[in-house]
Amino acid sequence: MAGSGTIQLRDDDDIVLRVENLVVEFPVGRHQVVHAVSDLSFDVRRGETLGIVGESGCGKSTTARAIVQIPRPTSGTVVLDPGSDREAELTALHGESLREVRPRLQMIFQDPISSLNPRRFVRDIVAEGLAIWQKDHSGPHSQARIDEVLEAVGIDPEVAATRRPHEFSGGQCQRISIARAVALDPEILVCDEPVSALDVSVQAQILNILEDMKQRYGLTLLFISHDLSVVRNVSDRVVVMYLGKICEIGAADTLYSSPAHPYTRVLLASAPEPASTVDPSDAAIGDEIPSPINPPSGCRFRTRCPRATDLCAAEEPQVQQLGEDHFVACHFPTLG
Amino acid sequence: MNGTVNGQPLLSVTDLRVGFATQRGLVRAVDGVSFDLFAGKTLGIVGESGSGKSVTAKTLMNLLPSYARVEGSVMFDGRDVRELAAQKEKHFWGVEMTMIFQDPMTSLNPVKKVGEQIAESLRVHLGRSRKEARDEAGDLLETVGIPEARKRLSQYPHELSGGLRQRVVIAMALACSPRLLIADEPTTALDVTVQKHILDLLDELREERGMAMILITHDLGVVKGRTDDIMVMYAGRTMEQADTATLFSTMRHPYTEALLETIPRIDMPSHTRLVPIPGRPPDLIDIAPGCPFAPRCRYSVDACVVECPSLEGHGTAHVCACHKPVGTEAGIAARAANEQQGTTPTGLDMGLFEGAGSRSGTGAGN
Repeated sequence: MAGSGTIQLRDDDDIVLRVENLVVEFPVGRHQVVHAVSDLSFDVRRGETLGIVGESGCGKSTTARAIVQIPRPTSGTVVLDPGSDREAELTALHGESLREVRPRLQMIFQDPISSLNPRRFVRDIVAEGLAIWQKDHSGPHSQARIDEVLEAVGIDPEVAATRRPHEFSGGQCQRISIARAVALDPEILVCDEPVSALDVSVQAQILNILEDMKQRYGLTLLFISHDLSVVRNVSDRVVVMYLGKICEIGAADTLYSSPAHPYTRVLLASAPEPASTVDPSDAAIGDEIPSPINPPSGCRFRTRCPRATDLCAAEEPQVQQLGEDHFVACHFPTLG
Repeated sequence: MNGTVNGQPLLSVTDLRVGFATQRGLVRAVDGVSFDLFAGKTLGIVGESGSGKSVTAKTLMNLLPSYARVEGSVMFDGRDVRELAAQKEKHFWGVEMTMIFQDPMTSLNPVKKVGEQIAESLRVHLGRSRKEARDEAGDLLETVGIPEARKRLSQYPHELSGGLRQRVVIAMALACSPRLLIADEPTTALDVTVQKHILDLLDELREERGMAMILITHDLGVVKGRTDDIMVMYAGRTMEQADTATLFSTMRHPYTEALLETIPRIDMPSHTRLVPIPGRPPDLIDIAPGCPFAPRCRYSVDACVVECPSLEGHGTAHVCACHKPVGTEAGIAARAANEQQGTTPTGLDMGLFEGAGSRSGTGAGN
């Protein structure tokens, strides 16, 4: 891991989401805090898919939730459409003004069945966003929109009108979640482990649908997963996180073909079918993730890192640039 | 490969059928599964949820609810396992044959110290004293690579990480030196780094102790390179079974091929279009005649809908239940005909498979 810095932010007109110095801490009593996300910065370009990958407890889901302000981050800024006339600094907005920005950011979750209200008809679930935000929600325009998004994810709108979520399979429920999320025409879709609960044969269907949705509605995706192969498949750019910090960020293919951070190498070598770009011996680290209440000094990965030295304990590595779109936070990165 | 050199198989399952009566009818969860497992070997059972892989394991472990209808025979080292179950034999499961489960949190008792939980089976099955059992439990924790093993004995499961808990579960399973260990998705709930360690550990222990192992998973990647043989299950039936190398190099069943193609692989460039398996697994109540995979299969022909294929041999110890096996002349012709028509006889749009490789390394066999 593990470092701080903002060099990885791009100076670009087409940035749709900029997260700067994001910190999320949870109090756990006795004046202790869990440092879930510490000083995290990244940005997402319009139409891009940013994948966030890491082990459980690395803060990837917390990051997603902090972006949509549920709960609000401890500090840091989250800006939507920076520099444009639609710029909205979510972290500075409150009440009604925050609520008005929310349709621009939608989210889908890991468990498709529990994220749908079991007592409502599927069509009403998908229509709810429009019912809240569109004055003519029962009018032909909104109805056509509902039909369209349902058809786009491969659910028959007629069937959806008379059935409840339990009458659909897990994969179909995830399609319904996607339809609900895109119905309001969001700019950003935050996907938190959207395929982890699905069977492998259904996983590919959902990943392909997300890709189609992205083309069709010009979406930008923030895709969170612990599965390295899935993340590479969907992402243009990938962030590797460890204990609330960035380890490495870069273009997906660059990051996977020349992983520079020891933690990235560990992940790639530990996959059931290890990546060909790393040596199997790279996987040799301990099981124990340090507590986020008392994270290690300096680089947070140093306690498990094969390359750690005194420097790593004393000084936190700053994010440095390795290639055109490849940044790493490590004192001793592998240089391609 | 077939291991007959060792004589008798350790475990021999013949035509196993398991049904559950429900209000809608009989669910045929396992429908005629047979396999042999020799001492010291590992069998991987691969399939999606609902394929019957866990029910098969639970049948072996005598963990099914009493209303389950079981037919077929399960022989373990010359003993009839179903007979043992009927006699309420106490010292078989947990001693000769043990199982570890997916979720290490729910398979441990949250209000008992881990040392007591491991010692329990030593005392119950092997009649050890409290002191002996506790000492042995400490040794077992060391065997499974838990640091400061003695100290952990007096900790509760919630004080341990997921990886350590799964190691404790493995220690419990090994307590009575079983001859067969069944691992049902042992790493699905764990992080990748921990997953690798646990799978490596299981492999080492199996080798050291000459145990046989059944590794159940939905991930072909997990079994690749770790098992001697693989059985692919779908809708309660065996679709294909072969030794691991053969299965990956010359797979014959379209389902195996589809399963392998549908998974994104870590070395694939980003945005590679995935080949989904269209549709979803069949209902196990009203099982249509014919092959259960036919509605999702790009090789299907009219015969697939009418007649269920039986397992046929394709070379040494390689069986496959398919009318038009992948990579054979019949299979290639069937797929080409479907591609020409644009749909399969079951009405599947072949356009769905565009870009689907025939990269399954087939055509080599026969």
